[in-house]
Amino acid sequence: MDISSIWLGFLFCIIVIMNAFTVDEKSSISNFLNSLPYTRKEIVSSKYIGAIIFTFMIIFALFMGNFIINKELIDWKEILLVVCLVLIFVSFSFPFSYKFKSQYLLMGFAIMFVAFMAIGNFVLPKIGPMLDTMNLGEKVEWFAQKLFSLQDVQLYGLIAIVNIVLYACSWLLSIRIYSKKVF
Amino acid sequence: MENVIELRNVNKIFDSFRLNDISLTVKKGFVTGFIGGNGVGKSTTIKLIMNLLQPDSGSVSVFGLNYKEHEKEIKQRIGFVFDENVFYENLTLAEMKQIIKPAYSNWDDNLFHHYVKTFELPLKKKIKQFSKGMMMKASLTMALSHHAELIIMDEPTSGLDPIFRRELLEILHQLMEDENKTIFFSTHITTDLDRIADYIAFIHNGELVFTKEIYQIEEEYAIVKGGKELLDRDTEQEFIGIRKSNHGFEALTANKSRIENIFGEMVVIEKPTLEDIMFYTKKGAERFV
Repeated sequence: MDISSIWLGFLFCIIVIMNAFTVDEKSSISNFLNSLPYTRKEIVSSKYIGAIIFTFMIIFALFMGNFIINKELIDWKEILLVVCLVLIFVSFSFPFSYKFKSQYLLMGFAIMFVAFMAIGNFVLPKIGPMLDTMNLGEKVEWFAQKLFSLQDVQLYGLIAIVNIVLYACSWLLSIRIYSKKVF
Repeated sequence: MENVIELRNVNKIFDSFRLNDISLTVKKGFVTGFIGGNGVGKSTTIKLIMNLLQPDSGSVSVFGLNYKEHEKEIKQRIGFVFDENVFYENLTLAEMKQIIKPAYSNWDDNLFHHYVKTFELPLKKKIKQFSKGMMMKASLTMALSHHAELIIMDEPTSGLDPIFRRELLEILHQLMEDENKTIFFSTHITTDLDRIADYIAFIHNGELVFTKEIYQIEEEYAIVKGGKELLDRDTEQEFIGIRKSNHGFEALTANKSRIENIFGEMVVIEKPTLEDIMFYTKKGAERFV
C-alpha cells in the first residue's frame, strides 16, 4: 500500500466534492435552488449522492490512469481505504458546513485538532489511574483482540458497515439542519 | 375573484426588525405592486411567500395551498425573477436550461425558444458575461417557460436603464393579456408601478399600510398646498404628513373629499404620485416619534 497514492485519491475527491458544495452555498444560488420545485430534503440528498458518484468517478479515473500508464492494477484494499476516508470526511464536514458555512471548516478542524492534543496531553494522564480501577484496560484488550482475530473479509465488512451507518446519520442530520435553515 | 397569494396575520420577528400582523392578498389576473422604502420588509415578505422563511405566527397560502403539504406543487406553478444573478456563472444559457428543464413538469421548449428569440438572448455565451438587462431577460425567460401562473419579482427593474425598464414593462403588459396570469412585484421605483400596476400594496416599517386599486388611490389621496396660516392644531391632524417651507405648506391627505369640504378654494389640491405617498407617510411617522 502506497500512502501517497491513497492520499492523492483522497485529496482529489475532497476537492471536487467540497467545490461542488461551496458553489451552491452562495446566497444567489441557494435562493435559486430553493425557488425550484425541489424540497430541501432533495437538495441535501443530491449533495450526498453526488459525493458518492464523484468519489467513484475519480477512483475510476485514477485506476484507469494507473493501469494505462504503469500497467498495474490498484489493490482493492487501497480503493476501499480511499472510499472510507472520503465518506468519513464528508460525514463530518457536510453537517458542519450546513450549520456554520464551509468557510469555517478549516477553523473547525484546527479547533478539533487542538482539542484532541489537549485531551491527549492533559486529560488522559489524569483519568488514567481512575480507568485502571475500572478495569477498562482489560475490556479494551479483549475488544482489540477480538478485532484483530477477525478475518480480513469480516474486518473490512465491519469497517464498511460503520462507514455506511456514519454516512447515513450524517445525511439525516444535514437534512434536519437544512430544513430548519432561515435564509 | 380568487386570491392567488394570501398572508393572514403574519408575524416575523428578527433581532433588529419585525413584520407586524401582515395580512396581504394578491388577486388573480392582476398586477400587484409592492412598494416601500429600503429596509421596511419587502424582501422579507417575499421570502415568506417563497417559503425561504417561515412566519412566527399566521399563515401563508399560495393558490389556496400551504407550503407544508404542497411545496413542490406550489413551486411548479410559480416563476421567480430575482434582482441579482441567480444562475451558475460559468454555464451558458443552454446549459442552464438543461438543469432547469427537468425540474418542471410543464416546461415548454417552444416557449423557451420563443422568448430567447424575442429577447435576443445568446444561448452559447457564459452567464457571467451577460449584461444586467440580459440577465433579467434570462431570468424572466426561465420563469415564463414553464407556464407559470404566478410570477413573483423582487425589484426587477433596479439597475436597469430607463429604456429597458419601459421595454420590460411592455413585455409584462403583453403577458397580462392572458387572464390566468398574476404578477406580484416589489420595487421602489414608483413610476414603473404607475405604468403597469392594478393594485398597490404599501408596506412601511414592517406594517402593511394599505392594499388598494390604483385608481382608488388617486381618488382618495391628494397633495394639498396652501398658505401656512391655514395650519393649526386641528387641521394638522387631517394630514398624514406635512412639509412646511417659507412659502407655505405641502401635505398629503388620505381623504380628499374631506379636505375639499374643510378648505374649499383656499388650497390647491393635486394628484399625488406614489412617491409622494411614500415620502409623506414616512414623514408623518417620524412626527410621532
